[in-house]
Amino acid sequence: MLSRFFTPTEVSAHCDLPCGVYDPAQARIEAQSIKAIIAKVADNSDPDFRTRAVLIKEQRSELVKHHLWVLWTDYFKAPHFEKYPQLHTLFNEATKLAGASGTKGEFDAGKADELLAKIDEIDAIFKETKAA
Amino acid sequence: MAVGLGVVVVRGRSMEPTLHTGDRMVVLRGAPPRMGRLAIVRLPPDESGMPRPLAIKRVTGRDPSDPRRYWVESDNQTVSGVADSWTHGIGSLAREQIRAVVLFRIPQRLRLPGGRRPLQ
Repeated sequence: MLSRFFTPTEVSAHCDLPCGVYDPAQARIEAQSIKAIIAKVADNSDPDFRTRAVLIKEQRSELVKHHLWVLWTDYFKAPHFEKYPQLHTLFNEATKLAGASGTKGEFDAGKADELLAKIDEIDAIFKETKAA
Repeated sequence: MAVGLGVVVVRGRSMEPTLHTGDRMVVLRGAPPRMGRLAIVRLPPDESGMPRPLAIKRVTGRDPSDPRRYWVESDNQTVSGVADSWTHGIGSLAREQIRAVVLFRIPQRLRLPGGRRPLQ
């Protein structure tokens, strides 16, 4: 009994997704969370919950931008940009969709869908480069 | 669920600045969750079906669309990969997913024998 009490159980306050691993899945799960937050708020009138949702949605949008920027600046290299000339524009458009004119500033499920579609386009190129 | 005391140790950054890696807390297993307090929770498996580890979260309220369920959050929303009720695929938790409530943090100066201090 005593030994059970004194042996601590480890509880996680870790990030849930692989850290230091390049994968558009990280940006996608945050974008999916944003979409879920927009849906949750749409059928809710509790002012505290809505305020909380606004804050969290801004923070998750910032995380989407962070994950996309890491891919853009750290994962993709010059030969990738030569082979896929649309990449720069894709990243620019995707991070804008996560910004003030997109999911960060608005409660528009359409923007969240557009953001997810851009992430999917980036993911498709990412997978091609991984397979190469 | 049996009620009983236990000790947990925190790993990770998702509860900063409240808690840090290596912090130890006394918890009461099976106790009812209290709003605004910390709890040890069992999050649902991730999208690939892998079980998530026991996690420490703050119970921030009831699920507005189902008052029988609890909304849990990480204190640190800026850390990459934060997973809580706001995360896609998680949402609110059922009562049985709240495994224990946190009673208090053990002060570092009163660490139990053999307890390691975190790197400063």
